[in-house]
Amino acid sequence: MSSLRSRLVPSAALVAGVVLLSGALAGCTKLPADTTLLERARQFHREVPLIDGHNDLSSAVLSTGKGSFEHFDPDKGLPDLDTDIPRLRTGLVGGQFWSAYVPSSLMGQGAGIFALQQIDAIRRMVARSPSLEFAVTADEIVRIHKEGKIASLIGIEGGHAIENSLPALRQFHTLGVRYMTLTHGATTPWADAATDEARHGGLTRFGEEVVREMNRLGMLVDLSHVSDGTMSDALRVSEAPVIFSHSSARALADHVRNVPDSILARLPANGGVVMINFFPGFIDPQAAREAAGVLQKEREFKAQFPNDPKAAGEAFGAWIRNFRTNDATLAQVADHVEHVRKVAGVDHVGIGADYAGLGQHPIGLDDVTRYPYLTAELLRRGWSDEDVKKVLGLNVLRAMRGAEQVAIRLRQSRPASTATIEELDRPE
Amino acid sequence: MRLIRQSAVLLLAILSASCAKQADSGDYLERARRLHQEVPMVDTHNDLPWVVFAEGGGQFERFDPDQSLPSIDTDVPRLKEGLVGGQFWAAYVPSLFMEHGAAMPTLGQIDLIHRMIERSPTLEYATTADDIVRIHKTGKIASLIGIEGGHSIDNSLAVLRMFHELGVRYLTLTHSATIPWADAATDVATHGGLSRFGEEVVREMNRIGMMVDLSHVSDATMSDALRVSEAPVIFSHSSARALADHVRNVPDSILTQVAKNGGVVMINFFPGFLDPQAAQEAAGVLQMEREIKAKHPNDPNAAAAEFATYIRNFRTNDATLAQVADHIEHITKVAGVDHVGLGADYASLGQHPIGLENVSRYPYLSAELLRRGWNDDDVKKVIGLNLLRVMRSVEQTAATLRQSRPASAATIEELDGATGSRP
Repeated sequence: MSSLRSRLVPSAALVAGVVLLSGALAGCTKLPADTTLLERARQFHREVPLIDGHNDLSSAVLSTGKGSFEHFDPDKGLPDLDTDIPRLRTGLVGGQFWSAYVPSSLMGQGAGIFALQQIDAIRRMVARSPSLEFAVTADEIVRIHKEGKIASLIGIEGGHAIENSLPALRQFHTLGVRYMTLTHGATTPWADAATDEARHGGLTRFGEEVVREMNRLGMLVDLSHVSDGTMSDALRVSEAPVIFSHSSARALADHVRNVPDSILARLPANGGVVMINFFPGFIDPQAAREAAGVLQKEREFKAQFPNDPKAAGEAFGAWIRNFRTNDATLAQVADHVEHVRKVAGVDHVGIGADYAGLGQHPIGLDDVTRYPYLTAELLRRGWSDEDVKKVLGLNVLRAMRGAEQVAIRLRQSRPASTATIEELDRPE
Repeated sequence: MRLIRQSAVLLLAILSASCAKQADSGDYLERARRLHQEVPMVDTHNDLPWVVFAEGGGQFERFDPDQSLPSIDTDVPRLKEGLVGGQFWAAYVPSLFMEHGAAMPTLGQIDLIHRMIERSPTLEYATTADDIVRIHKTGKIASLIGIEGGHSIDNSLAVLRMFHELGVRYLTLTHSATIPWADAATDVATHGGLSRFGEEVVREMNRIGMMVDLSHVSDATMSDALRVSEAPVIFSHSSARALADHVRNVPDSILTQVAKNGGVVMINFFPGFLDPQAAQEAAGVLQMEREIKAKHPNDPNAAAAEFATYIRNFRTNDATLAQVADHIEHITKVAGVDHVGLGADYASLGQHPIGLENVSRYPYLSAELLRRGWNDDDVKKVIGLNLLRVMRSVEQTAATLRQSRPASAATIEELDGATGSRP
């Protein structure tokens, strides 16, 4: 690639000619993602912010770095991981939702405090970095991207983080949290998870109230990790677009963590976005079978450390980083993007790679530098410029703006909810 | 209304009794009111948020501070009448929650305070000294948040920092019970003051710009905090121990250190902390919490409710407005006029000094100081300027420290050992 570029350097006119030619060729023949497509892809990343819905780096800050950046500096290289800030820049990432992940093992045992610690770690990581800037709105992402920085947002992974408290939910919003995944691996007192027993048939009444309060606040409802019943309930209740911050298409890889076509079909009415997860276990059909029990594994660790939920969480984290399945490829990720486009429409697909949490990646998407290669693959498949930009970031920006406007309207029409889980879910 | 009239008559009687060449007391009150308009009178401790939570389930429809609340001593109309310019609202969670995790209930109280401020046409959210001055000029009441009890951070500096982000501008290092890193005045001393982690908490508060509040802590904790703190400290609601011998009050030996530190003692109006006899009667008032706790081992909410009722119904010998002024003058004598302010502790106690029955009465205290011959400048210091000076100094220290050191990633396990020096 570099040798090709150096041969092209002598004449700008020649370069332009080759670019035009290969651009034309890309449309009608099946070339691999070559320099020209990649250059075009990179140009798109500069024009609109590529926004990724899920990265677990802050968990590594807390575990590997012990909460300190002294020996764990994301602004320098982190060669043991797939994510660091120099590589995010190479990958032309414009906006990143950093995950304030809370292990389900902490449910009822300090989940809220752990979430606060994650939020603190993310905010500190952002504040100290010359490349990152904290963002809470769609407009801020656009502005920060224009200034050449990476807009950094916070999403909480796991509704158990609020410890059944709407006041806590509101204060998380004040701290900058802009989405909350309703569950992680385990069913919570008010929402069923995809990878646990369905105790509520979806959302309880309190769970519905959580969704409504998120709408009122302007926090995106994230349906990755939840059961189909919860997806369905949330789509019925939510007054704002929802997201799946890191989920792929179940039709192509039959894993409960993925989104079934029946749910995809409801996204146009809701205006939401499925942000494709790169984990091979959610991409490749055989890998999906191999990964069927991957999240249930957390409960085994919980049983192993009955009195140390934090240790259980860390043991699970280490286990999942070493988990391996059948390989998947960049092309398969593009297939998922195209499947969601086919069933839900091009307005309802985005990217949520789930880097920094998993040890295995599709061939060609080995770390956060590789996003432009996926963009180039879509171009190679003949996607229009406009549609590629939607997938990169415009769809999520639209969902965010939708949620922001709904919040403005709802804050006028109703006060903060003082409902409690005891009140709404009292046993019959 | 009748209560106010009676109190006014009583005050008049007290004033005329104590001063022969009495000028027209109305003049003092008028002058006092003018001073309250010129500088914001700032009170550093009011427990209304806990009452809204405990009595009103956090629902302002059921318990609306913007309307009259005749069952308690605080509501917004009376705060306006009392010419209060700035109020620190206590995000109080009883020590009873310590083992169950106090941080999340505290988050709930912070939420409640934010909601109370947002819905009120009279209150406005503030986090800096400049905010208070600006808001006071617009005729509103600057509203700030202080957390009462270090147990609220659940031994986590990250939680401390997030509370600061949410607007908390002071943390009382303990409430009634000794916590894993600091001794309380009304509990066993297990650390001899602050543990190493406790010192780190103080340093981190300095770095982020949160005032260190030494009300409720043991003398040794006061001493340790004064040694460690790089910024002025406050006592958000404590009086002078020399005048009322209660461990909740500040001894003279500490008062002289407060002067060196630049801090301020905000006088508490509870008769048990003002009157010598009442202080004896109130000696065990906060320890009562542990007795009640023993009755409800697994239900901190029930214990908290019973303790709150106990405190509200607790009665001692009476105290008077004049005695409050005596405490102010004692601190002026020992520490200096730059180191005293007001932290009445309204909305938690059922008994008040005669003449200071509710939040409408602050100007009568200012008038009493004027009657005693205080000049306008010194009265202004007591009612607000001292606290504003401390806040500005804390803000400047934080601005400097944030440049020179990163957030602390220390843990209690690291600094105090695996088991810590836990009680």
